[in-house]
Amino acid sequence: MVNVIDYVPGKTLLHRLNPVTKLAIAAAIIVATFLSDSYVMLLGLLVLTFALGFYAKSQGKLFSLMKLLVPIAIVMLLLQTAFVRTGEPVFLWMTSTGLITGSKACLRLLGVALPLILMLSVTKLNDLANACVEVLHIPYRYAFTFTTALRFVPVFSQEMNAIMEAQCARGVEYDTKNPIKKLQLMLPLCVPLLVTSVGKTDATALAAEQRGFYLRTRESSFKRYPMAADDKCVLALCVLLIALGVLF
Amino acid sequence: MAESTNTPQPIIELKDVSFTYASAASDGTEAPKPALSHITATIGTGEFVGIIGPSGAGKSTLASVMSGAIPHHFKGTLFGATLVDGKDTCDITLTDISQIVGSVLQDIDTQMVASVVEDEMLFGLENFGVPHTEIEGRIEETLATVGITDLRDREIATLSGGQKQKVAIAAILALHPRVLVLDEPTAALDPASSTLVFDTLEEVRRQGVTVVVIEQKVALLSKYCDRILVMDQGKLLLDGTPREVFAHAEKLRSIGVDSPRVARVYNSLAKDGLLPQGKPCLTVEEAAAIEERLIPEASRTAPAEGSFRQGSKHVVAARPYAEGAEPVVKLRDVCFQYPNGGATVKDLEMSVYPGEMVAVVGQNGAGKTTLTKLLNGLLKPSSGEVRISGLSTKEVPTSRIAAHCATLFQNPDYQLCKDTVLDEVAFGLELQGIDEEEAKRRALRVIERFGLPEKESPFSLSRGQRQVVALASVVVMEPDVVLLDEPTSGLDYRECMTVMDTVSEMANRGCAVIMVCHDMEVVSDFAERLVVMANGRILDRGATLDMFSDTSLMKEAFIEAPQIVQLSQVLSRTVSPAFAGVSQVSGIVDLTEEMVQRG
Repeated sequence: MVNVIDYVPGKTLLHRLNPVTKLAIAAAIIVATFLSDSYVMLLGLLVLTFALGFYAKSQGKLFSLMKLLVPIAIVMLLLQTAFVRTGEPVFLWMTSTGLITGSKACLRLLGVALPLILMLSVTKLNDLANACVEVLHIPYRYAFTFTTALRFVPVFSQEMNAIMEAQCARGVEYDTKNPIKKLQLMLPLCVPLLVTSVGKTDATALAAEQRGFYLRTRESSFKRYPMAADDKCVLALCVLLIALGVLF
Repeated sequence: MAESTNTPQPIIELKDVSFTYASAASDGTEAPKPALSHITATIGTGEFVGIIGPSGAGKSTLASVMSGAIPHHFKGTLFGATLVDGKDTCDITLTDISQIVGSVLQDIDTQMVASVVEDEMLFGLENFGVPHTEIEGRIEETLATVGITDLRDREIATLSGGQKQKVAIAAILALHPRVLVLDEPTAALDPASSTLVFDTLEEVRRQGVTVVVIEQKVALLSKYCDRILVMDQGKLLLDGTPREVFAHAEKLRSIGVDSPRVARVYNSLAKDGLLPQGKPCLTVEEAAAIEERLIPEASRTAPAEGSFRQGSKHVVAARPYAEGAEPVVKLRDVCFQYPNGGATVKDLEMSVYPGEMVAVVGQNGAGKTTLTKLLNGLLKPSSGEVRISGLSTKEVPTSRIAAHCATLFQNPDYQLCKDTVLDEVAFGLELQGIDEEEAKRRALRVIERFGLPEKESPFSLSRGQRQVVALASVVVMEPDVVLLDEPTSGLDYRECMTVMDTVSEMANRGCAVIMVCHDMEVVSDFAERLVVMANGRILDRGATLDMFSDTSLMKEAFIEAPQIVQLSQVLSRTVSPAFAGVSQVSGIVDLTEEMVQRG
């Protein structure tokens, strides 16, 4: 199972940075993406994300996410052009303003989703949780909830897969080419999936408590996450990036 | 193995404990059934205790009481007292209890909190405030005890089932609990990995930790435990050493608990007055030694071909598939590789005829599940061809193959999706375009046969009954081929027999049955042919007994032949060649009695 949020091991600077700094990088790229309003900047931010991805050798994740996002982006573009009808007509119903706002919205969608995935692929979830507790003083229970939710994503997708396979082997047409029909067939399965997931969550809560979850404090973590000089430089660059986003 | 005579210091004491789940009380007008009733038992320090019983007997509930999850996590009505290290579990917090009693849950995926083994180990150590200077030492020591030092930096998602189980054990063990409670740690494992897990537990016990384990595999329990508790319907039925417990094989069988096969040989001989009652043998070696003493030298010649080769009702007579009949399943040169470079299967060749029952055996990861998915069309071969009833799986969509090839999955919950048992069973027929009324009528017939409640929701039934519902929806299809993926895992002996008897009846009516199964006793009872797999290849195929008798083949595939086959092999060397090829308990018993009488 290749999963989009799996950790990609490595020893690059990006891997070695404090998890909080990595979070800051992702946040800075996202904020800059929202603030900027020029193609140059939006494309530049995407290029930056991909450059970082290639550097950390997690470009595979980015591309597999792109495969998912590009169709959504195209649908968004078409909708935008249908709603925004001001400006010069260009092609069929599309107008120049429609195309411009639409394409920028698409670029923003990609620009928001990709940095988060990039950041998760170079950070172990436990490190992220521990660092958030230590550096940002977030209560551990929230950090734990967040990481556990992320950790359950592949577990549930496996579960869903197993259910679909079992139903397919019974003769339910999950192998149909029609996506709407497939979706219709999938809906009734949400109930069993929900039932099992509630059970699993309960078991997780029990197991965590039996391993002293409630005793955990900010000092508990064995690994330490100090902010090093590298981190400070990168944080400064992040501020610069946001400033660029405001300017362009 | 060791029979303890002096009573050790108690670490867990249950005094007249009864428990009823709150959820059981809310629905239904009659008085709710207690999950545990009046249990009194003591677990001594340093003991290795096994808990066994049919499904729904209250084994997991008992484990929850010992680990403090009851009363602190599961809600319900609790009577009596549970003392852990002398303190009542109601008076101290779950966190306090878990520093003494470490527990490993049944579904270990839910227990894991991290993505890397080292982080998983750290979690508990950090929480319980183990000094940071000590942590490194503890991790190294525990990983070494469990034998997974090399896994320290591995991602948990990439580990095998057996390795994961060991990580779960190590993560708890690092906390230095004084008791380790495990709920069916080997349920998803093949025989070789199961033995390794128990070896690990044995090592843990040697270091002074008390081990309490819920387990269905009787051969493992009898080999490793000092004491076995037998549960039935919330009550403690038997409590004693494995020998004491398995002397009551008849009683155990009536509640749905299997006994080691060699113990059954001994018990049968004892019943007929040839051996003293009460202390059955538990291993093949013991049984062989006893037989050797029992049978006089003079009478060791082979009697005329007798009934002993037939043995019990299970013995598989070659089924009457017509000479030259077309195989209903045909695999030719089949290769498959998962796209992300995972496991592969290579050069699979296999034909199955109508009315045959074929078992596929091998280690976890040998490619058995991939083979079943190739058969029911969930996977398409990358080269070669799979034909089911003449249909090539490459050309026909999976949902159409379903009309010819029905699959019973290991986990029935993946299969169930309807509101009532009746709808569930009729669903498969409706999908094949049979009109609703006809489908319901056929479904009702099958439901009646299994005695299932037709109006209930399948999800409200017990695990074993859900498996039977899934089985009913396979039977109703009247397919040409039935695929069983671990049909007996998670079921008790009685449920297992219901499933297997039904399936072999289907085979008698001309349906081809292919089953993937870890339980070699079931395989030797029911399958007439064996396909042995290892590393994605078929090592060999042939008659069940021939395969089990091939010691080097068994070794190569990491399979242990069933006890009776092992016993008859030993006896044919030491006592009389007449024992060769006997595969049933009653066969050994009959032959022994015949020889003794002649002597």
